[in-house]
Amino acid sequence: MPNRVAIVGIGQTRHKSTRRDVTLPEMVNEAVRAALADAELTMKDIEAVFTSNMETFEGIYLPDHGAATEIGAYMKPGFKVCTGGTSGASVVVEGFCMVASGLYDVVMVLGFEKQDCGETTAAITAAATPIWGKGAVTGAIGEFAKQALSYMETSGAKEEHAAMVRLKADRGACKNEYAHLKLGLESAEQVLNSGYLVWPLRMLDFCPQSSGACALVLAEEKKARSISRKPVWIADVEVVHQEPFRAGTFADPTGKEAYTQHVACERLYKRNGITNPRRDIDMAEIYEPSNWEEMSLYEHFHFCERNQGWKLVEQGVTEMDGDFPVNPSGGVIATNPIGATPTIRVAEAALQIRGDAGAHQVAKDVKTSLASALGGPNWTVLTLLKRSL
Amino acid sequence: MAKKSSQEGEKKPEYITVKIDVPRKYRWSTGKYIGRTYREAHENKKIVANRCVKCKEVLWPPMQVCGRCKVEAGEDWVELSQTGTVMQYTYLVYPLWDPHYGEKFANPYANAMILLDDGVYIRHFLEETDVNKLKVGMRVEAVWRGDGERGEGMADVKYFRTIDE
Repeated sequence: MPNRVAIVGIGQTRHKSTRRDVTLPEMVNEAVRAALADAELTMKDIEAVFTSNMETFEGIYLPDHGAATEIGAYMKPGFKVCTGGTSGASVVVEGFCMVASGLYDVVMVLGFEKQDCGETTAAITAAATPIWGKGAVTGAIGEFAKQALSYMETSGAKEEHAAMVRLKADRGACKNEYAHLKLGLESAEQVLNSGYLVWPLRMLDFCPQSSGACALVLAEEKKARSISRKPVWIADVEVVHQEPFRAGTFADPTGKEAYTQHVACERLYKRNGITNPRRDIDMAEIYEPSNWEEMSLYEHFHFCERNQGWKLVEQGVTEMDGDFPVNPSGGVIATNPIGATPTIRVAEAALQIRGDAGAHQVAKDVKTSLASALGGPNWTVLTLLKRSL
Repeated sequence: MAKKSSQEGEKKPEYITVKIDVPRKYRWSTGKYIGRTYREAHENKKIVANRCVKCKEVLWPPMQVCGRCKVEAGEDWVELSQTGTVMQYTYLVYPLWDPHYGEKFANPYANAMILLDDGVYIRHFLEETDVNKLKVGMRVEAVWRGDGERGEGMADVKYFRTIDE
C-alpha cells in the first residue's frame, strides 16, 4: 500500500512576459520562498527537490543546474523532469511517486520557464528533427490552427464561441493576482478583430510566452497533517505518452488515432469510481493552449458529449460561477511559463479545494478537482485532487 | 558600460548583446527505415513505407518498431499513393523564426494534413497560395523536385498541387 501524499505548500511568481529584473535562478527562488512560506517550512525540512523546465527554451543547457543554490537543492537529492509541455505535471507525478513509495517524506516539486531569454517557437520547431517533420515548421501554433479548423468543421462551433472562451479566461485572469495577460476584454469583437498568427488562429486565440515559476511542497500523510491545516490530497495520477508526431494528433480528421486524453481520463475515472465527471468532479484546471482546444478538451475529458463542447460555453457551465467551472485562474491562454504551466494547473486546482484562490475562487464548494497537462505530440498527464481521502 | 538614454524622461533599458557567429555542425542519420524512404524519393520519386509484420498497419514515418504491437516492424515495404485529400490546412500569417537558419520564416505555402488515397496521412505543403481557394476536401497530388535537386527525404516533394477530378 503506497503512502498517501498531500500538497501542503503552494507558491508561484507573478507571471510576466519579461522579468529583466531577475536572473532565472532568482525568479525560481521567488516561487520556492512562496511555497515554503505557505507551508510554514524552511528548506531544511525539504528532503529532495525535483524540477521541470523545457530544455533549450532559454537557449542554455541544463538551466536548472545553475539554479541549484537558489532553489535550495544544493547537495540534496533530485533531478529535472523534461517531457515537453507536460513537464510541469510530470514533475508533480515524480514527487508523488517519491513520497508515495516512502523514499522521502517531504519533497518540493517546481516548474519554471523564463521565456524572455529566447524564441520559444524556434525551440519547438527545432524539436522536429531535420530528418523528418520539417512540415511542423509553425511550432505549436500550426498544430492548434489545424485543430481549430477541424473543430470548426465537425462540431458546428463558430468563431464567436472561441471568443467567448477567451473572454471567460480573461475575466478569470483579471481576478488572479498571479496571471500574466490581464486584458480587460469587453467584447467578442476585440478577440475577433485581433490579427491572425497562423490561420485561423488569431493573436488572442493562443497562449502567450510567459516568465514565471510555481512550486509545491508534497508530504506523506502524517507529516502532511502536522504541516498543514488544509492538506490537499493527490488522489491519483495518470500519464499517457504516445508515439510522437503522428498526423493530426490534436484533432485527428480520420478518426483512426487514439487520443491520450481519452485513454488517460478513462483509466483515471475507472480507478476512482468516476462515472459522471461533471457530477463526481467539482471543477477542472485544464491545459488549453488555445480557446478552440479548450472546447475540444471538454469533450475529450467527457465533460460533455462529442461536438457539444461549445454548448457548455454558450450555457456558461464552465464559468467561475457555473455548474462546472473550468480554468477560473484564466488558464494557459492567459499565463504560460511552459515548464511551470502544468504545475500551476495543479496548484490552482489545489487552491480551489482549500478555498484559498482569492478573487477567482469558484462559487461552488470544491471537494474534488482535476488538473490536466498537454504537451509535445499530444501527451496527457492528469492529477486528481481531493479535500479528504 | 551602460549609457543613459538620450531621451529625457524616458528610461530605456540597455541590454548586453553577445554576438556569436558559429556554423551549426550537426549531422543527423536517416537510419535504415527512413533512409529507405530518402533513397526511393531521391532515385525513383516514390513514397515508400513499411508495414508491421503483425497488424499490417502502414507505419508513417517508416519505423523499426510498431508502437501498438511492440514488435520489430520489419521490411515489408509498400509504395504509397501520391494523390490524396486535404483533411486540415493552415497557413502562416505572422512570420516565425526558422531556428535552423536563424531567419524569419515566411513560407508562402499552406501547411496541410493530407489523407493519401491508400489511407495514410501525411503533413506537407500545398502549391495553392490563394487562401480563398483552400478548402477541406480538395484533391491534390505530389509534385517532385527535379533531378539533381532531390536527396532530402519528403522535402523532395516540393508540395502537393490541386487536381481536378
